[in-house]
Amino acid sequence: MCDTCGCGAGSTTFTKHGEEHHHHGDGHGHSHDHDHPHDHSHTHDHSHDRTIAIEQDVLGENNLLAQRNRGYFEAKNVFCLNLVSSPGSGKTTLLEKTLVALKDDLPSAVIEGDQQTMNDADRVAATGVPVLQINTGNGCHLDAEMIHTAYGELKLEENSILFIENVGNLVCPALFDLGEDKKVVVISVTEGEDKPIKYPTMFDAADICIINKIDLLPYVQFDVEKCKEYALQVNHHLDFFELSATTGEGMDAWYSWLRESLKR
Amino acid sequence: MHEMSIAMNIVNIACKEAQKEDAKSIASIEIDIGKLSGVMLDSLKFCYDSACKGTLAEGSELLVNELPALARCKTCEHSFEIDSFMALCPECESYEIDILQGRELKLNAVSVN
Repeated sequence: MCDTCGCGAGSTTFTKHGEEHHHHGDGHGHSHDHDHPHDHSHTHDHSHDRTIAIEQDVLGENNLLAQRNRGYFEAKNVFCLNLVSSPGSGKTTLLEKTLVALKDDLPSAVIEGDQQTMNDADRVAATGVPVLQINTGNGCHLDAEMIHTAYGELKLEENSILFIENVGNLVCPALFDLGEDKKVVVISVTEGEDKPIKYPTMFDAADICIINKIDLLPYVQFDVEKCKEYALQVNHHLDFFELSATTGEGMDAWYSWLRESLKR
Repeated sequence: MHEMSIAMNIVNIACKEAQKEDAKSIASIEIDIGKLSGVMLDSLKFCYDSACKGTLAEGSELLVNELPALARCKTCEHSFEIDSFMALCPECESYEIDILQGRELKLNAVSVN
């Protein structure tokens, strides 16, 4: 699923923090052998039009791989979260604080997704947690195959949490199951409270909604209750956390939820 | 622009099936798209031609069945058609609705020759 040109090599790279070399993903699902010659000696006429019934989910291949990832996580009791948001909502700061807080009692690992740079992986690595950076090049989302390659390199511990920080994009990642247990959508109070109804597909796909940067509420026009109401209109199954990763306000509830979730 | 990945998936699945049937070329690909699938039809159509280039599907037509979105109210069990995820039950005005149809993104059939 190379978004750019359709080539097998793709522009996606996988880099472990502290390792200079990176490698490209292997030949993404699609085949390139449609033009090979058929030297059939027998003759039969195929010129008549016919219809082949297919009845397949267009994203079936990704969904199948996602289920394979899910099975792997389940077998190792890895609780996997897929963090999605628009760029700048504070996902990486939330992760940094969370990793430091959980460090003593819960092993974690992180897969970072960005179009370019190792910046986020460098920030996460400073907490001492294993991290792998996926650079998607021009790609706008992570897919299940990328995650499969990434956790193969990370060597996940049993009974641990895997955080996947998706590419900052409130649209495309909604459609691609990675095999996570929960999809967590992060919105910050410096954004509009109507984000849930402007980008409903993502809020529909999510299980958890984190409202971040609540320390800034006195300085911005953001109605938390209105935002939650909009989000619930899109998806009444959503659970919320209101917090500030910077000041630590509200973070305890988030940590408790993570600890409880891993136990299950 | 996830529509490019979607278009490529459609073409790849169709080509694999057409090859199995020893087809010379693909004339058309028929898909179902739900109203709430998260795919923009215009950009999908735009990407489709590029995705077809150099494959059995080059020059083929994309036939789209747009499926309406249907929901059922959790409170009063009324079933109705919706336009968006933020729909209100027309009977009891509850927001607690379950979406029954509208998220589809399915490849139905391929016409080959």
